[in-house]
Amino acid sequence: MTGVLLSPGEVVDEFRAERSPFSWLLEREVLRYLRIWRYSLVGPVLSTILFVVVFGTVLARHVDGLGRFSYGQFIVPGLLVQAVVNVGYFNGTTSLYEARRDRYLHCVLASPLRWGEILGALVLASMLRGILVAAAVLAVAVPLTDLDVARPGYLALVAPAVLVVAAQFGIIAGAVASSLDHVYSIESLVLLPLGFLGGIFYPVNQLASGWQLVSELNPFFWLVQAGRTGFLGSADVPGWAALLVTWAFAAVLSAWSAVIFVRGRRLKS
Amino acid sequence: MRDHDGVPTALEVRGLRKSYGDGFTALDDLDLSIPAGSLFGLLGPNGAGKTTLIGSVCNLVRPDAGSIQVFGHAADTREARALVGLAEQDINVDRFLSVRQVLVYHAGYFGVGRREAVRRADEALELLGLTAKAKVTAPELSGGMQRRLVLARALVNRPRLLILDEPTAGVDVDLRAEIWRLVRTLNDAGTTILLTTHYLEEAEALCDEIALIRAGQIVDRGTAVALRAQYAVGSIADLYQRALAPVAS
Ligand SMILES: Nc1ncnc2c1ncn2[C@@H]1O[C@H](COP(=O)(O)OP(=O)(O)OP(=O)(O)O)[C@@H](O)[C@H]1O
Ligand SMILES: [Mg+2]
Repeated sequence: MTGVLLSPGEVVDEFRAERSPFSWLLEREVLRYLRIWRYSLVGPVLSTILFVVVFGTVLARHVDGLGRFSYGQFIVPGLLVQAVVNVGYFNGTTSLYEARRDRYLHCVLASPLRWGEILGALVLASMLRGILVAAAVLAVAVPLTDLDVARPGYLALVAPAVLVVAAQFGIIAGAVASSLDHVYSIESLVLLPLGFLGGIFYPVNQLASGWQLVSELNPFFWLVQAGRTGFLGSADVPGWAALLVTWAFAAVLSAWSAVIFVRGRRLKS
Repeated sequence: MRDHDGVPTALEVRGLRKSYGDGFTALDDLDLSIPAGSLFGLLGPNGAGKTTLIGSVCNLVRPDAGSIQVFGHAADTREARALVGLAEQDINVDRFLSVRQVLVYHAGYFGVGRREAVRRADEALELLGLTAKAKVTAPELSGGMQRRLVLARALVNRPRLLILDEPTAGVDVDLRAEIWRLVRTLNDAGTTILLTTHYLEEAEALCDEIALIRAGQIVDRGTAVALRAQYAVGSIADLYQRALAPVAS
């Protein structure tokens, strides 16, 4: 073998890549969760489907007032949103938090990768994982509940925003968490309550008006409404409002994570 | 910022300051210039600021003030990043990837294409005696093997400036000898090397120039011979005693 590593590379005035460092990092991020697919993909899909089966078929008999939809059809869009947000959270935290904790993030920071490329690769990989999980959930939930997509165009507009929200939320949590404790407490103190109070399982107009207001302050609620509008055609709030609010969340979280990556205070010493 | 041949200095650090969040000043207006092609040793007690200096050069630490240039490129440019290889003091390896993948993806972060990245990874595995461990994940390696991996990784982008932060700490005699050989070979081929160590005989045996760092400042520098003469001491160990003794309080 004639080696090249024992001597330095050529002098260049400008950085030139044979293949973009961004695509390498994206590939690494995707490979990371594909290697642990039982945990990263099958787990979230299975738990979501169990919700659909247990709630959508067994409890369905005790719920009415949903018009022409079965209870199963009513809850699947919200469960899908919840699955995507959970996956985004776990992707960001396991990928970025662990990269910080074990300091192999240093390899990325010390390389020619720019902050936007690092963040972009993390976001895109997380979105792809969300799409994989959502597709698998739908593959089972659709035949199970006879769910239809009432407004495919609307769904196509809102789905990327939900995926971005999920990805950025996880990345921000992964960047600010200072311990695993922290990661788990954000999950149980923020993610779980917001999810349960987000109107996945009931229409908010069945709540007392005070609770309706509380629901509307919950970001999760708007994501669920957006998802439900796409699948069922309408929800508790106007479709345009849910679309707008969801994209606004996506923009705010994206700006937040961009600030974290530009400043680097959480990523470097 | 060029030496007499018109070659840019490998590393040019000016007025570098860094205080950590707790107010501790780790680097205090530090200046350092390392000529291209040298094998440069940085010597100083625990907490002197060696790792903080290296982190500042490699985009891992956010300095409060000062400038850093690598072969004439500002340290925060991609051009500068591409020229540096780093083996950190504390072992840090991607626990999700196999040993071979760690090297392939690391080359990739530097813009190397797949075929070449795989070739370089295989070469690095062979150079550091890791070929038999190519398929295991890094946490399954012994400490010494992980050290080998960190060194292999620092080579895959063919750096013109190789920074080794205490590369021989906690390694057995065989690996230490191997590392010395590797460092000399790389330096002979033109790679500039910045090395920190607490083994004084290592600095003396390997380095053509030594800088002494204490409390975030370079207090002196020169060849081992010149420093010994200047401080009228018989060995670098005596020099260390003399020049880097804790400041009397
Ligand atoms: N992340 C950090 N936060 C706060 N203080 C830090 C941090 N990293 C280093 N320090 C402090 O800065 C000083 C310099 O540390 P540094 O690691 O640069 O020293 P060093 O010369 O590499 O020491 P050693 O020989 O022990 O590796 C030390 O007092 C250390 O406690
Ligand atoms: Mg150190």
